[in-house]
Amino acid sequence: MGKVLYYTLVDLARNRSVVAFTALILAVAEGLFLVEADPVKALLSLVQVMLALVPLVSLILTVVHTYDTHEFTQLLAVQPIGRRAILGGRIGAMALALLVALLFGLGLPLTVHAPGSTSMVLLVAVVLLAWVHAALGTLIALVHRDKARGVGVALVAWAGFVLLYDALLMALLFAFSDRPIEPLVLPIAALNPIDLARIAIMIRVDLAAMMGYSGAVYQQMLGSGPGTAVALGLMIAWIAWPTLMAFRVFRRKDL
Amino acid sequence: MDSVVFSGVGKRYRSLWALRDVHATFRRGEVVMVIGPNGSGKTTLIKCLLGLVRPTTGSIRVEGQVIGPDPGYRRSIGYMPQISQFPPSLTIGQLLDMMRDVRGLSPASADDGLVEELGLAAQLDKRLGALSGGTRQKVSAVLAFRSRPRILVMDEPTAGLDPVSARTVLDRAAALRSDGGTVLITSHLMEEVEALADRIAYLQEGHLRFLLPLSDVLRRTGADRLALALPKLLADPV
Repeated sequence: MGKVLYYTLVDLARNRSVVAFTALILAVAEGLFLVEADPVKALLSLVQVMLALVPLVSLILTVVHTYDTHEFTQLLAVQPIGRRAILGGRIGAMALALLVALLFGLGLPLTVHAPGSTSMVLLVAVVLLAWVHAALGTLIALVHRDKARGVGVALVAWAGFVLLYDALLMALLFAFSDRPIEPLVLPIAALNPIDLARIAIMIRVDLAAMMGYSGAVYQQMLGSGPGTAVALGLMIAWIAWPTLMAFRVFRRKDL
Repeated sequence: MDSVVFSGVGKRYRSLWALRDVHATFRRGEVVMVIGPNGSGKTTLIKCLLGLVRPTTGSIRVEGQVIGPDPGYRRSIGYMPQISQFPPSLTIGQLLDMMRDVRGLSPASADDGLVEELGLAAQLDKRLGALSGGTRQKVSAVLAFRSRPRILVMDEPTAGLDPVSARTVLDRAAALRSDGGTVLITSHLMEEVEALADRIAYLQEGHLRFLLPLSDVLRRTGADRLALALPKLLADPV
C-alpha cells in the first residue's frame, strides 16, 4: 500500500487541479483577510466560503481523478498485490494531497492573520470535510461506471448537503413549530457533514446569528467544548462509512 | 505441462453472458492467438485470467493453483493492455521504479532489455502525460516483460506501435515461448496471428468455437491463409 500511496502522491503533487485548488483557497483566504480589517469578520466570511467550496472541489477532484486513472488502476490490479492495498494507497494519497493543499492554502493565512484556537478548529473541520468528500467521491466513482453519471451524482450530493438540507430543516421547523423538536435536531444535523463542520466552528465563535438553528441547539444541549468534539467525532464517522463501503465495492468490482 | 486451465468459465454482466462455459487448456511453450469478432468475449477471457473480472461460473487454474482472492499467482503473469494510461505527472523512470517495487523485484532481477531495444533509455525523464500513444505502448511492453513472466498476456500488442517496435515485441514473445513460457495474444491482424501462433482460439458470442493448431485449421479447410480458412471453418464447424 505504501508504494502505491507514495507514487500516487508524487503524481498528485504535480497535478494541475490540485495545484489550482491550493492556489484558489490561498487567494480566497488572503483576499478576505485583506478586504476585511476585522479578523473575526473575515474569519466568519471565510467559514461560509470554505464550507461550500472545499466539499465541492474535493468531491469533483476525487471523482474525476478516480475515473481518469481507471486504466492505471487496472494495471495495478493485475500485479501481485491485493485490491485493499491499491485502494488504500490511492485514498491515502488523495487525503494527504488535500491535507497539504489545505495546510498551505488555508493554514498559512490563518496562522498569519488570525492565530488562535478558533482558526485551528476551522482548519481541522475543513480538512475533515475535505476527507469526507474525498471518501464520498471515491465511493460514487466506484459505484457508477459512467463518468458523466458519477459527476452528476456528486453534484447532486453536494447540492443536497448545501441547499436541500437547509430547506428540509426549515420545513421541519415550520411543520412542528408548536412542539419541542430540539432533541431531533442532534441526529438530523448528523446527516449533513457540512452542517457538522459549521456547528463545530460556530459554537466556538459564539455568534448566535451565525450558528444557525442546529448550531444553537448543539450549544444549548452540549455546551461549547463538547459540542465541537461531538460534531468533529460525527465527521470522522462520515469519513469512515463511505471509505469502508468503497473498500467493499472495490474488492468485488469488475475492472 | 498445462500452464493455464479454464474449466467451465462463464461471465455474466447483468443479463448479458459475455463468456459461456469456456473449457480450455493453455500449455507451456506455446503461443495461442485468441481471435473473434468485436464483443465475442476475448477481453473478458483475458480479464478473468488476470483477476480483473470474477467469473460467474467455473474456475481457472494457473500453474496448478485455482485463482481466488490471493493475488500471488499474478507474480508469474505479465500483461500488456490494449490501452495504456499512466499517471501523467510521473516520468517513465518513476513508473518503472514503482512497478518494480510493486512486484517486489530487485534492480538486478528486472529484465530491462526492452528499454534499450525500444529506444526508451534516453526518455526515462520524460513525463508520461507527454508521451505519444505509440511510446505509451512501448512502456507498456517493457512493463509486461520486465518481471520475466512465465505467462504473458497481450491485448492487441502491436496496435499503435511502429513496424520495427512491433517486430521487436513479437520477437520477445516468441523468445518467451522458446524458454517454455505461455503466451496469449488477442489480435485482429491475421498475418500477425499466422506468423506467431501455435494454436488458434476462436471466440464467438462468448462461446469458444475451437482451440486448434494453426496447421489443423488450414488443413481442414484446404485454405492457405487463416483469413480464408475462418469463414469455411465457421460455416462447417469442427
